[in-house]
Amino acid sequence: MELYELSLYHLTEGLKAKKFSPEEVYESCKKRIDSCEENIHAFITRTDEIAKSQLQEDNSGILAGVPTVLKDNLCTKGIRTTAASKILGNWRPPYNASAWNYLRSAGAVLMGKVNMDEFAMGNTCGNSAFGATHNPNDLSRVPGGSSGGSAAAVSAGYVPFALGSDTGGSIRQPAAYCGVYGLKPTYGMVSRYGLISYGSSLDQIGPFARTVRDLQIVMSVIAHYDPMDSSCFREKNYDFTHHENVSIKGKKVALVKEFQDFTLDPAIERAMKKTQEILQEEGAELVEVSLPVVSKYAVACYYALAMSEAHTNLERYDGVRLGYTVKDAAGIKEMFERVRSYGFGPEVKSRIIAGTCLTEPERCEQYYVAATKVRTLIAQEFTKAFTQTDFILQPASPEMPPLIGSQDDDAMKGYQADLYTLPVNLAGLPGLSFFTGYYGDLPVGLQLIGPRWSDPAILEAGLVIERHTGTPEIANEGVK
Amino acid sequence: MKLTSEQVNDIAIESRLLLTEQELDGATRYINNFLDILDSFKELDLTDVEPFSFAEALECPLREDKVCAFPDTEAILHESEHVDGSYFKVPRIMEE
Repeated sequence: MELYELSLYHLTEGLKAKKFSPEEVYESCKKRIDSCEENIHAFITRTDEIAKSQLQEDNSGILAGVPTVLKDNLCTKGIRTTAASKILGNWRPPYNASAWNYLRSAGAVLMGKVNMDEFAMGNTCGNSAFGATHNPNDLSRVPGGSSGGSAAAVSAGYVPFALGSDTGGSIRQPAAYCGVYGLKPTYGMVSRYGLISYGSSLDQIGPFARTVRDLQIVMSVIAHYDPMDSSCFREKNYDFTHHENVSIKGKKVALVKEFQDFTLDPAIERAMKKTQEILQEEGAELVEVSLPVVSKYAVACYYALAMSEAHTNLERYDGVRLGYTVKDAAGIKEMFERVRSYGFGPEVKSRIIAGTCLTEPERCEQYYVAATKVRTLIAQEFTKAFTQTDFILQPASPEMPPLIGSQDDDAMKGYQADLYTLPVNLAGLPGLSFFTGYYGDLPVGLQLIGPRWSDPAILEAGLVIERHTGTPEIANEGVK
Repeated sequence: MKLTSEQVNDIAIESRLLLTEQELDGATRYINNFLDILDSFKELDLTDVEPFSFAEALECPLREDKVCAFPDTEAILHESEHVDGSYFKVPRIMEE
Protein backbone atom coordinates (compact mmCIF):
# COMPACT_ATOMS: atom_id res chain seq x y z
CA MET A 1 0.00 0.00 0.00
CA GLU A 2 1.25 3.47 -0.90
CA LEU A 3 1.36 6.10 1.84
CA TYR A 4 -1.09 8.38 0.02
CA GLU A 5 -3.70 5.62 0.36
CA LEU A 6 -3.66 5.70 4.17
CA SER A 7 -6.49 7.27 6.11
CA LEU A 8 -5.70 10.29 8.26
CA TYR A 9 -5.90 8.13 11.40
CA HIS A 10 -3.48 5.51 10.08
CA LEU A 11 -1.18 8.21 8.76
CA THR A 12 -0.98 9.98 12.12
CA GLU A 13 -0.46 6.67 13.94
CA GLY A 14 2.28 5.63 11.51
CA LEU A 15 4.02 8.99 11.77
CA LYS A 16 3.84 8.88 15.57
CA ALA A 17 5.34 5.36 15.62
CA LYS A 18 8.00 6.50 13.10
CA LYS A 19 7.01 3.74 10.67
CA PHE A 20 7.59 6.32 7.96
CA SER A 21 8.68 9.96 7.87
CA PRO A 22 6.71 13.13 7.04
CA GLU A 23 8.99 13.57 4.01
CA GLU A 24 7.97 10.14 2.70
CA VAL A 25 4.29 11.01 3.15
CA TYR A 26 4.83 14.34 1.37
CA GLU A 27 6.62 12.65 -1.55
CA SER A 28 3.90 10.01 -1.87
CA CYS A 29 1.10 12.61 -1.95
CA LYS A 30 3.04 14.85 -4.33
CA LYS A 31 3.64 11.93 -6.70
CA ARG A 32 -0.04 11.05 -6.58
CA ILE A 33 -1.01 14.65 -7.38
CA ASP A 34 1.50 14.76 -10.25
CA SER A 35 0.04 11.60 -11.73
CA CYS A 36 -3.63 12.73 -11.68
CA GLU A 37 -3.84 16.51 -11.66
CA GLU A 38 -3.67 17.02 -15.41
CA ASN A 39 -6.94 15.08 -15.72
CA ILE A 40 -8.72 16.13 -12.53
CA HIS A 41 -7.72 19.79 -12.26
CA ALA A 42 -8.52 20.14 -8.57
CA PHE A 43 -5.95 22.86 -7.84
CA ILE A 44 -6.00 26.58 -8.39
CA THR A 45 -2.62 27.05 -6.71
CA ARG A 46 -0.15 24.32 -5.75
CA THR A 47 2.11 25.05 -2.78
CA ASP A 48 4.40 22.00 -2.79
CA GLU A 49 7.44 24.06 -1.83
CA ILE A 50 5.61 25.77 1.02
CA ALA A 51 4.54 22.35 2.32
CA LYS A 52 8.13 21.19 2.11
CA SER A 53 9.37 24.14 4.15
CA GLN A 54 6.55 23.65 6.69
CA LEU A 55 7.84 20.11 7.21
CA GLN A 56 11.13 21.57 8.44
CA GLU A 57 9.40 23.39 11.30
CA ASP A 58 9.30 21.57 14.63
CA ASN A 59 5.80 20.38 15.42
CA SER A 60 4.48 17.58 17.58
CA GLY A 61 0.77 18.29 17.07
CA ILE A 62 -1.67 15.53 16.19
CA LEU A 63 -1.51 16.42 12.49
CA ALA A 64 2.28 16.82 12.39
CA GLY A 65 3.45 16.20 8.83
CA VAL A 66 0.00 15.51 7.37
CA PRO A 67 -0.60 17.09 3.94
CA THR A 68 -3.87 18.89 3.30
CA VAL A 69 -5.53 21.28 0.87
CA LEU A 70 -7.90 24.19 1.46
CA LYS A 71 -10.80 25.47 -0.59
CA ASP A 72 -9.60 28.68 -2.18
CA ASN A 73 -11.98 30.87 -0.20
CA LEU A 74 -9.98 30.30 3.00
CA CYS A 75 -7.40 33.01 3.54
CA THR A 76 -3.76 31.94 3.68
CA LYS A 77 -1.21 34.56 4.65
CA GLY A 78 1.01 35.48 1.70
CA ILE A 79 -0.48 32.73 -0.51
CA ARG A 80 -2.76 33.65 -3.42
CA THR A 81 -6.44 33.31 -2.46
CA THR A 82 -8.90 33.73 -5.32
CA ALA A 83 -12.38 32.37 -4.41
CA ALA A 84 -12.11 31.12 -8.04
CA SER A 85 -12.81 34.65 -9.26
CA LYS A 86 -10.92 36.94 -11.62
CA ILE A 87 -11.78 39.85 -9.36
CA LEU A 88 -9.40 38.73 -6.63
CA GLY A 89 -6.58 38.39 -9.17
CA ASN A 90 -3.37 37.51 -7.36
CA TRP A 91 -4.51 38.76 -3.97
CA ARG A 92 -2.38 37.47 -1.11
CA PRO A 93 -4.18 37.85 2.23
CA PRO A 94 -2.27 39.46 5.09
CA TYR A 95 -3.64 36.90 7.56
CA ASN A 96 -4.69 33.25 7.87
CA ALA A 97 -8.22 31.94 8.32
CA SER A 98 -8.53 30.75 11.94
CA ALA A 99 -9.44 27.20 10.81
CA TRP A 100 -6.17 27.02 8.86
CA ASN A 101 -4.26 28.47 11.84
CA TYR A 102 -5.63 25.66 14.01
CA LEU A 103 -4.66 22.98 11.46
CA ARG A 104 -1.22 24.50 10.95
CA SER A 105 -0.65 24.70 14.73
CA ALA A 106 -1.51 20.99 14.89
CA GLY A 107 1.18 20.34 12.26
CA ALA A 108 -0.72 20.04 8.95
CA VAL A 109 1.19 21.12 5.84
CA LEU A 110 -0.41 22.87 2.86
CA MET A 111 -0.21 21.23 -0.57
CA GLY A 112 -2.35 23.91 -2.17
CA LYS A 113 -5.55 25.84 -2.66
CA VAL A 114 -8.28 24.01 -4.52
CA ASN A 115 -10.98 24.82 -7.02
CA MET A 116 -14.55 25.85 -6.27
CA ASP A 117 -17.47 27.62 -7.90
CA GLU A 118 -16.78 31.36 -7.95
CA PHE A 119 -17.44 32.81 -4.48
CA ALA A 120 -19.01 29.41 -3.61
CA MET A 121 -21.97 30.13 -5.89
CA GLY A 122 -22.76 26.91 -7.72
CA ASN A 123 -23.07 23.16 -7.33
CA THR A 124 -20.79 21.79 -10.06
CA CYS A 125 -17.32 23.31 -9.49
CA GLY A 126 -17.53 24.32 -13.15
CA ASN A 127 -18.39 27.93 -12.43
CA SER A 128 -14.76 28.85 -11.78
CA ALA A 129 -12.54 31.41 -13.49
CA PHE A 130 -9.87 28.68 -13.45
CA GLY A 131 -11.84 26.03 -15.38
CA ALA A 132 -13.81 22.99 -14.28
CA THR A 133 -12.69 20.24 -11.90
CA HIS A 134 -13.45 16.65 -12.97
CA ASN A 135 -14.90 13.90 -10.79
CA PRO A 136 -12.06 11.44 -10.00
CA ASN A 137 -14.54 8.53 -10.24
CA ASP A 138 -15.61 9.46 -13.78
CA LEU A 139 -13.78 12.28 -15.51
CA SER A 140 -16.76 13.13 -17.70
CA ARG A 141 -18.83 14.05 -14.65
CA VAL A 142 -18.85 17.00 -12.26
CA PRO A 143 -17.39 16.58 -8.76
CA GLY A 144 -20.21 18.69 -7.32
CA GLY A 145 -19.83 22.05 -5.72
CA SER A 146 -19.05 24.46 -4.64
CA SER A 147 -16.25 22.68 -2.71
CA GLY A 148 -15.60 20.32 -5.65
CA GLY A 149 -11.81 20.73 -5.54
CA SER A 150 -11.66 19.67 -1.87
CA ALA A 151 -13.88 16.62 -2.47
CA ALA A 152 -11.98 15.60 -5.61
CA ALA A 153 -8.59 15.97 -3.87
CA VAL A 154 -9.61 13.64 -1.03
CA SER A 155 -11.36 11.18 -3.36
CA ALA A 156 -8.33 10.93 -5.67
CA GLY A 157 -5.93 10.36 -2.78
CA TYR A 158 -4.07 13.68 -3.06
CA VAL A 159 -4.46 14.26 0.68
CA PRO A 160 -6.20 12.38 3.52
CA PHE A 161 -8.41 15.34 4.42
CA ALA A 162 -9.36 18.80 3.17
CA LEU A 163 -11.39 21.79 4.26
CA GLY A 164 -14.31 23.24 2.35
CA SER A 165 -17.20 25.53 3.15
CA ASP A 166 -20.95 24.92 3.01
CA THR A 167 -23.49 27.71 2.51
CA GLY A 168 -26.29 25.58 1.04
CA GLY A 169 -24.78 22.11 0.54
CA SER A 170 -21.30 22.90 -0.77
CA ILE A 171 -19.62 20.25 1.40
CA ARG A 172 -22.34 17.59 1.48
CA GLN A 173 -23.24 17.39 -2.21
CA PRO A 174 -19.64 17.17 -3.56
CA ALA A 175 -18.79 14.65 -0.81
CA ALA A 176 -21.67 12.48 -2.07
CA TYR A 177 -20.69 12.94 -5.73
CA CYS A 178 -17.04 12.07 -5.12
CA GLY A 179 -17.53 9.22 -2.65
CA VAL A 180 -16.03 10.69 0.51
CA TYR A 181 -17.36 11.80 3.87
CA GLY A 182 -18.10 15.47 4.52
CA LEU A 183 -19.42 17.30 7.55
CA LYS A 184 -21.25 20.61 7.50
CA PRO A 185 -20.89 21.54 11.18
CA THR A 186 -23.48 23.42 13.24
CA TYR A 187 -23.42 27.15 12.41
CA GLY A 188 -21.02 28.52 15.04
CA MET A 189 -19.07 25.29 15.60
CA VAL A 190 -16.06 26.31 13.48
CA SER A 191 -14.73 29.87 13.28
CA ARG A 192 -15.33 31.54 9.94
CA TYR A 193 -12.72 34.25 10.49
CA GLY A 194 -10.79 34.42 7.21
CA LEU A 195 -13.45 32.67 5.14
CA ILE A 196 -14.35 34.85 2.14
CA SER A 197 -17.98 35.67 2.83
CA TYR A 198 -20.88 34.65 0.61
CA GLY A 199 -23.98 34.42 2.83
CA SER A 200 -22.78 35.26 6.32
CA SER A 201 -25.77 33.85 8.20
CA LEU A 202 -25.39 30.55 6.31
CA ASP A 203 -21.64 29.99 5.66
CA GLN A 204 -19.82 27.28 7.62
CA ILE A 205 -16.37 25.70 7.25
CA GLY A 206 -16.11 21.91 7.49
CA PRO A 207 -13.93 18.88 6.67
CA PHE A 208 -13.80 16.17 3.97
CA ALA A 209 -12.12 12.79 4.59
CA ARG A 210 -12.30 9.15 3.52
CA THR A 211 -13.44 7.86 6.92
CA VAL A 212 -15.71 9.13 9.68
CA ARG A 213 -12.92 8.69 12.22
CA ASP A 214 -10.83 11.08 10.15
CA LEU A 215 -13.60 13.67 10.26
CA GLN A 216 -13.60 13.33 14.05
CA ILE A 217 -9.86 13.99 14.17
CA VAL A 218 -10.16 17.13 12.04
CA MET A 219 -13.17 18.39 14.00
CA SER A 220 -11.27 17.93 17.27
CA VAL A 221 -8.73 20.44 15.89
CA ILE A 222 -10.95 23.02 14.17
CA ALA A 223 -14.01 23.14 16.49
CA HIS A 224 -12.44 25.81 18.58
CA TYR A 225 -13.79 28.99 20.18
CA ASP A 226 -12.50 32.06 18.34
CA PRO A 227 -13.13 35.61 19.58
CA MET A 228 -12.62 36.82 15.99
CA ASP A 229 -15.95 35.25 14.93
CA SER A 230 -18.85 36.47 17.04
CA SER A 231 -21.06 33.61 15.79
CA CYS A 232 -18.61 31.08 17.28
CA PHE A 233 -19.75 28.94 20.21
CA ARG A 234 -18.56 29.87 23.68
CA GLU A 235 -18.34 28.18 27.06
CA LYS A 236 -19.13 24.75 25.63
CA ASN A 237 -16.98 21.69 25.05
CA TYR A 238 -17.49 19.18 22.29
CA ASP A 239 -15.93 15.75 22.41
CA PHE A 240 -15.10 14.24 19.03
CA THR A 241 -12.99 11.39 20.40
CA HIS A 242 -15.63 8.65 20.91
CA HIS A 243 -15.14 5.95 18.34
CA GLU A 244 -15.19 2.68 20.27
CA ASN A 245 -18.42 0.89 21.24
CA VAL A 246 -20.55 3.60 19.67
CA SER A 247 -24.14 2.60 19.06
CA ILE A 248 -27.40 3.97 17.73
CA LYS A 249 -29.51 1.39 19.52
CA GLY A 250 -32.77 3.01 20.67
CA LYS A 251 -32.15 6.18 18.66
CA LYS A 252 -34.87 7.46 16.38
CA VAL A 253 -34.08 8.22 12.74
CA ALA A 254 -36.74 10.01 10.72
CA LEU A 255 -37.67 10.19 7.08
CA VAL A 256 -39.38 13.38 5.93
CA LYS A 257 -43.00 12.69 5.01
CA GLU A 258 -43.20 15.39 2.32
CA PHE A 259 -40.00 14.18 0.60
CA GLN A 260 -41.46 10.70 -0.02
CA ASP A 261 -43.27 11.77 -3.20
CA PHE A 262 -40.22 13.40 -4.78
CA THR A 263 -38.34 11.60 -7.54
CA LEU A 264 -34.89 10.27 -6.76
CA ASP A 265 -32.31 8.66 -9.01
CA PRO A 266 -32.73 4.84 -8.67
CA ALA A 267 -29.21 4.57 -7.19
CA ILE A 268 -30.12 7.03 -4.44
CA GLU A 269 -33.49 5.37 -3.88
CA ARG A 270 -31.70 2.04 -3.42
CA ALA A 271 -29.13 3.59 -1.04
CA MET A 272 -31.96 5.06 1.07
CA LYS A 273 -33.54 1.62 1.45
CA LYS A 274 -30.23 -0.07 2.24
CA THR A 275 -29.36 2.55 4.88
CA GLN A 276 -32.75 2.16 6.55
CA GLU A 277 -32.09 -1.59 6.79
CA ILE A 278 -28.68 -0.91 8.36
CA LEU A 279 -30.18 1.49 10.88
CA GLN A 280 -32.86 -1.01 11.89
CA GLU A 281 -30.31 -3.80 12.13
CA GLU A 282 -28.34 -1.58 14.53
CA GLY A 283 -31.39 -1.11 16.73
CA ALA A 284 -32.52 2.35 15.61
CA GLU A 285 -36.22 3.06 15.25
CA LEU A 286 -37.40 4.52 11.95
CA VAL A 287 -40.03 7.24 12.32
CA GLU A 288 -41.53 9.95 10.15
CA VAL A 289 -41.49 13.72 10.61
CA SER A 290 -43.41 16.35 8.73
CA LEU A 291 -41.66 19.43 7.28
CA PRO A 292 -44.29 21.08 5.04
CA VAL A 293 -42.81 24.59 4.98
CA VAL A 294 -39.30 23.24 4.43
CA SER A 295 -40.37 21.06 1.50
CA LYS A 296 -42.30 23.81 -0.27
CA TYR A 297 -40.61 27.11 0.59
CA ALA A 298 -37.00 26.40 1.61
CA VAL A 299 -35.48 26.81 -1.86
CA ALA A 300 -37.09 30.22 -2.44
CA CYS A 301 -36.31 31.33 1.11
CA TYR A 302 -32.68 30.24 0.86
CA TYR A 303 -31.93 31.92 -2.44
CA ALA A 304 -33.68 35.15 -1.40
CA LEU A 305 -31.48 35.37 1.70
CA ALA A 306 -28.27 34.05 0.15
CA MET A 307 -28.46 36.50 -2.76
CA SER A 308 -29.32 39.44 -0.50
CA GLU A 309 -26.37 38.65 1.76
CA ALA A 310 -24.09 38.02 -1.23
CA HIS A 311 -24.92 41.39 -2.78
CA THR A 312 -23.87 43.11 0.46
CA ASN A 313 -20.77 40.98 1.01
CA LEU A 314 -19.51 41.45 -2.54
CA GLU A 315 -19.80 45.24 -2.44
CA ARG A 316 -16.24 45.34 -1.10
CA TYR A 317 -14.75 44.24 -4.44
CA ASP A 318 -14.21 47.63 -6.00
CA GLY A 319 -10.63 47.51 -7.25
CA VAL A 320 -9.26 49.82 -4.55
CA ARG A 321 -7.77 47.62 -1.87
CA LEU A 322 -7.39 44.16 -3.32
CA GLY A 323 -7.36 42.09 -6.46
CA TYR A 324 -8.01 43.11 -10.05
CA THR A 325 -8.07 46.83 -10.79
CA VAL A 326 -7.78 49.41 -13.55
CA LYS A 327 -5.49 52.42 -13.34
CA ASP A 328 -6.84 54.72 -16.02
CA ALA A 329 -10.41 55.32 -14.85
CA ALA A 330 -11.64 58.90 -15.10
CA GLY A 331 -13.56 58.68 -11.84
CA ILE A 332 -14.36 56.29 -9.04
CA LYS A 333 -17.73 55.22 -10.48
CA GLU A 334 -16.09 54.22 -13.75
CA MET A 335 -13.40 52.31 -11.85
CA PHE A 336 -15.94 50.36 -9.80
CA GLU A 337 -18.03 49.52 -12.86
CA ARG A 338 -15.12 48.41 -15.01
CA VAL A 339 -13.53 46.33 -12.25
CA ARG A 340 -16.74 44.58 -11.22
CA SER A 341 -18.07 44.06 -14.75
CA TYR A 342 -14.86 42.35 -15.83
CA GLY A 343 -14.00 40.65 -12.55
CA PHE A 344 -17.24 38.83 -11.67
CA GLY A 345 -18.50 35.84 -13.65
CA PRO A 346 -22.09 35.54 -14.98
CA GLU A 347 -23.59 33.56 -12.06
CA VAL A 348 -22.12 35.96 -9.50
CA LYS A 349 -23.40 38.99 -11.43
CA SER A 350 -26.90 37.47 -11.61
CA ARG A 351 -26.94 36.85 -7.86
CA ILE A 352 -25.64 40.35 -7.05
CA ILE A 353 -28.33 41.95 -9.22
CA ALA A 354 -31.03 39.70 -7.73
CA GLY A 355 -29.82 40.50 -4.20
CA THR A 356 -29.84 44.24 -4.94
CA CYS A 357 -33.34 43.93 -6.37
CA LEU A 358 -34.72 42.06 -3.33
CA THR A 359 -33.31 44.51 -0.80
CA GLU A 360 -34.41 47.74 -2.49
CA PRO A 361 -36.83 49.70 -0.28
CA GLU A 362 -39.84 49.09 -2.55
CA ARG A 363 -39.36 45.29 -2.57
CA CYS A 364 -37.55 44.60 0.71
CA GLU A 365 -40.65 43.90 2.82
CA GLN A 366 -42.29 41.72 0.18
CA TYR A 367 -39.23 39.54 -0.50
CA TYR A 368 -36.26 39.89 1.86
CA VAL A 369 -38.16 40.47 5.11
CA ALA A 370 -40.71 37.81 4.11
CA ALA A 371 -37.84 35.35 3.54
CA THR A 372 -36.41 36.05 7.02
CA LYS A 373 -39.85 35.19 8.45
CA VAL A 374 -40.17 32.02 6.35
CA ARG A 375 -36.76 31.09 7.74
CA THR A 376 -38.19 31.36 11.26
CA LEU A 377 -40.96 28.91 10.29
CA ILE A 378 -38.38 26.54 8.81
CA ALA A 379 -36.23 26.62 11.95
CA GLN A 380 -39.35 26.06 14.09
CA GLU A 381 -40.30 23.03 11.98
CA PHE A 382 -36.88 21.48 12.54
CA THR A 383 -37.00 22.26 16.29
CA LYS A 384 -40.34 20.47 16.51
CA ALA A 385 -39.11 17.56 14.38
CA PHE A 386 -36.14 17.05 16.68
CA THR A 387 -38.49 16.59 19.64
CA GLN A 388 -39.73 13.50 17.76
CA THR A 389 -36.46 12.12 16.42
CA ASP A 390 -32.70 12.13 17.02
CA PHE A 391 -31.68 12.29 13.36
CA ILE A 392 -33.19 12.80 9.93
CA LEU A 393 -32.04 10.63 7.01
CA GLN A 394 -32.30 12.07 3.50
CA PRO A 395 -30.39 12.30 0.22
CA ALA A 396 -27.60 14.85 -0.25
CA SER A 397 -28.85 15.30 -3.81
CA PRO A 398 -31.75 13.77 -5.75
CA GLU A 399 -29.45 12.94 -8.66
CA MET A 400 -26.12 11.29 -9.40
CA PRO A 401 -23.27 13.55 -10.61
CA PRO A 402 -24.28 14.95 -14.02
CA LEU A 403 -22.04 15.05 -17.06
CA ILE A 404 -19.88 18.18 -17.30
CA GLY A 405 -21.66 20.75 -19.46
CA SER A 406 -25.05 19.04 -19.24
CA GLN A 407 -26.53 21.53 -16.79
CA ASP A 408 -29.81 23.19 -17.69
CA ASP A 409 -29.67 26.81 -18.87
CA ASP A 410 -32.48 27.60 -16.45
CA ALA A 411 -30.61 28.24 -13.21
CA MET A 412 -33.80 27.91 -11.15
CA LYS A 413 -34.08 24.20 -12.03
CA GLY A 414 -30.54 23.64 -10.73
CA TYR A 415 -31.46 25.43 -7.51
CA GLN A 416 -34.34 22.97 -6.91
CA ALA A 417 -31.78 20.14 -6.72
CA ASP A 418 -30.42 21.80 -3.55
CA LEU A 419 -33.65 21.17 -1.61
CA TYR A 420 -32.09 18.38 0.46
CA THR A 421 -29.11 20.42 1.62
CA LEU A 422 -29.99 24.08 1.97
CA PRO A 423 -32.69 23.86 4.71
CA VAL A 424 -29.90 22.60 6.97
CA ASN A 425 -28.06 25.92 6.53
CA LEU A 426 -31.24 27.93 7.04
CA ALA A 427 -31.72 26.32 10.47
CA GLY A 428 -27.97 26.28 11.29
CA LEU A 429 -27.95 22.48 11.73
CA PRO A 430 -25.12 19.98 11.29
CA GLY A 431 -25.27 17.52 8.38
CA LEU A 432 -23.08 14.53 7.59
CA SER A 433 -22.71 13.40 3.98
CA PHE A 434 -21.81 9.71 4.13
CA PHE A 435 -20.72 7.05 1.66
CA THR A 436 -23.13 4.13 1.14
CA GLY A 437 -21.44 2.11 -1.60
CA TYR A 438 -21.22 2.11 -5.40
CA TYR A 439 -23.83 2.00 -8.13
CA GLY A 440 -21.87 0.88 -11.17
CA ASP A 441 -18.65 2.85 -10.96
CA LEU A 442 -20.14 5.81 -9.17
CA PRO A 443 -20.26 6.28 -5.41
CA VAL A 444 -23.58 7.09 -3.76
CA GLY A 445 -23.82 9.35 -0.71
CA LEU A 446 -26.64 10.25 1.64
CA GLN A 447 -27.10 12.70 4.46
CA LEU A 448 -27.79 12.49 8.18
CA ILE A 449 -29.00 15.63 9.96
CA GLY A 450 -29.22 16.35 13.67
CA PRO A 451 -30.25 19.19 15.97
CA ARG A 452 -27.89 22.10 16.57
CA TRP A 453 -24.65 21.11 18.38
CA SER A 454 -25.23 17.39 17.77
CA ASP A 455 -22.13 17.15 15.54
CA PRO A 456 -20.34 14.58 17.76
CA ALA A 457 -23.48 12.40 17.87
CA ILE A 458 -23.94 12.56 14.08
CA LEU A 459 -20.36 11.45 13.55
CA GLU A 460 -20.86 8.56 16.00
CA ALA A 461 -23.95 7.50 14.03
CA GLY A 462 -21.82 7.79 10.89
CA LEU A 463 -19.28 5.40 12.43
CA VAL A 464 -22.05 2.84 12.95
CA ILE A 465 -23.21 3.10 9.32
CA GLU A 466 -19.61 2.97 8.07
CA ARG A 467 -19.13 -0.43 9.74
CA HIS A 468 -21.63 -1.78 7.21
CA THR A 469 -20.80 0.26 4.13
CA GLY A 470 -17.01 0.20 4.39
CA THR A 471 -14.52 2.83 3.38
CA PRO A 472 -14.66 4.28 -0.14
CA GLU A 473 -11.88 3.28 -2.50
CA ILE A 474 -9.48 5.93 -3.73
CA ALA A 475 -10.72 6.99 -7.17
CA ASN A 476 -8.26 6.10 -9.90
CA GLU A 477 -9.79 7.54 -13.06
CA GLY A 478 -7.49 10.55 -12.95
CA VAL A 479 -4.29 8.52 -13.30
CA LYS A 480 -2.50 9.41 -16.56
CA MET B 1 -45.03 42.04 -11.34
CA LYS B 2 -42.46 41.46 -14.08
CA LEU B 3 -39.46 43.76 -14.26
CA THR B 4 -38.55 45.30 -17.60
CA SER B 5 -35.02 45.11 -18.94
CA GLU B 6 -34.71 48.87 -18.28
CA GLN B 7 -35.54 48.33 -14.60
CA VAL B 8 -33.03 45.46 -14.38
CA ASN B 9 -30.42 47.63 -16.03
CA ASP B 10 -31.03 50.35 -13.43
CA ILE B 11 -30.55 47.77 -10.67
CA ALA B 12 -27.33 46.56 -12.33
CA ILE B 13 -26.00 50.12 -12.46
CA GLU B 14 -26.87 50.50 -8.79
CA SER B 15 -24.79 47.32 -8.20
CA ARG B 16 -21.93 48.96 -10.14
CA LEU B 17 -22.24 46.43 -12.97
CA LEU B 18 -22.37 47.25 -16.68
CA LEU B 19 -24.14 44.52 -18.63
CA THR B 20 -23.89 43.66 -22.31
CA GLU B 21 -27.20 43.30 -24.14
CA GLN B 22 -26.94 39.53 -23.88
CA GLU B 23 -26.15 39.69 -20.15
CA LEU B 24 -29.07 42.05 -19.60
CA ASP B 25 -31.47 39.66 -21.38
CA GLY B 26 -30.21 36.79 -19.23
CA ALA B 27 -30.40 38.82 -16.01
CA THR B 28 -33.96 39.99 -16.77
CA ARG B 29 -35.11 36.42 -17.41
CA TYR B 30 -33.29 35.20 -14.29
CA ILE B 31 -34.77 37.82 -11.97
CA ASN B 32 -38.31 37.46 -13.29
CA ASN B 33 -38.17 33.66 -12.91
CA PHE B 34 -36.85 34.13 -9.40
CA LEU B 35 -39.50 36.67 -8.40
CA ASP B 36 -42.18 34.22 -9.63
CA ILE B 37 -40.81 31.62 -7.22
CA LEU B 38 -40.66 34.14 -4.36
CA ASP B 39 -44.30 35.07 -4.92
CA SER B 40 -45.12 31.70 -3.31
CA PHE B 41 -44.44 33.41 0.07
CA LYS B 42 -47.87 35.05 -0.34
CA GLU B 43 -49.45 31.65 0.39
CA LEU B 44 -48.13 31.84 3.97
CA ASP B 45 -49.55 33.90 6.81
CA LEU B 46 -46.48 35.71 8.10
CA THR B 47 -48.35 38.40 10.08
CA ASP B 48 -47.17 37.41 13.55
CA VAL B 49 -43.93 35.72 12.57
CA GLU B 50 -40.69 37.33 13.74
CA PRO B 51 -37.71 37.56 11.37
CA PHE B 52 -35.24 34.73 12.00
CA SER B 53 -32.51 34.81 14.61
CA PHE B 54 -30.55 31.98 16.18
CA ALA B 55 -32.30 30.98 19.39
CA GLU B 56 -29.14 30.81 21.52
CA ALA B 57 -28.00 34.35 20.77
CA LEU B 58 -29.49 35.86 23.91
CA GLU B 59 -26.93 38.61 23.99
CA CYS B 60 -24.66 40.06 21.39
CA PRO B 61 -21.12 38.89 22.12
CA LEU B 62 -18.88 41.91 22.35
CA ARG B 63 -15.13 42.23 22.38
CA GLU B 64 -13.45 44.69 24.69
CA ASP B 65 -13.60 48.17 23.13
CA LYS B 66 -9.88 48.47 22.69
CA VAL B 67 -7.81 49.60 19.73
CA CYS B 68 -5.56 46.80 18.48
CA ALA B 69 -2.97 47.48 15.82
CA PHE B 70 -3.06 45.08 12.87
CA PRO B 71 0.34 43.37 12.91
CA ASP B 72 1.12 43.90 9.25
CA THR B 73 -0.45 46.94 7.61
CA GLU B 74 2.34 46.90 5.02
CA ALA B 75 1.00 43.57 3.73
CA ILE B 76 -2.47 45.10 3.28
CA LEU B 77 -1.14 48.10 1.40
CA HIS B 78 1.14 45.90 -0.68
CA GLU B 79 -1.88 44.20 -2.26
CA SER B 80 -3.27 47.44 -3.71
CA GLU B 81 -2.12 49.30 -6.78
CA HIS B 82 -3.74 52.49 -5.49
CA VAL B 83 -1.45 53.40 -2.60
CA ASP B 84 0.04 56.72 -1.67
CA GLY B 85 2.24 56.53 1.41
CA SER B 86 0.19 54.75 4.06
CA TYR B 87 -3.15 55.53 2.38
CA PHE B 88 -5.26 54.11 -0.42
CA LYS B 89 -5.63 56.67 -3.17
CA VAL B 90 -8.78 56.50 -5.31
CA PRO B 91 -9.72 58.32 -8.54
CA ARG B 92 -11.67 61.55 -8.16
CA ILE B 93 -15.00 61.15 -6.39
CA MET B 94 -16.58 64.54 -7.18
CA GLU B 95 -17.73 65.08 -10.75
CA GLU B 96 -16.08 67.96 -12.64
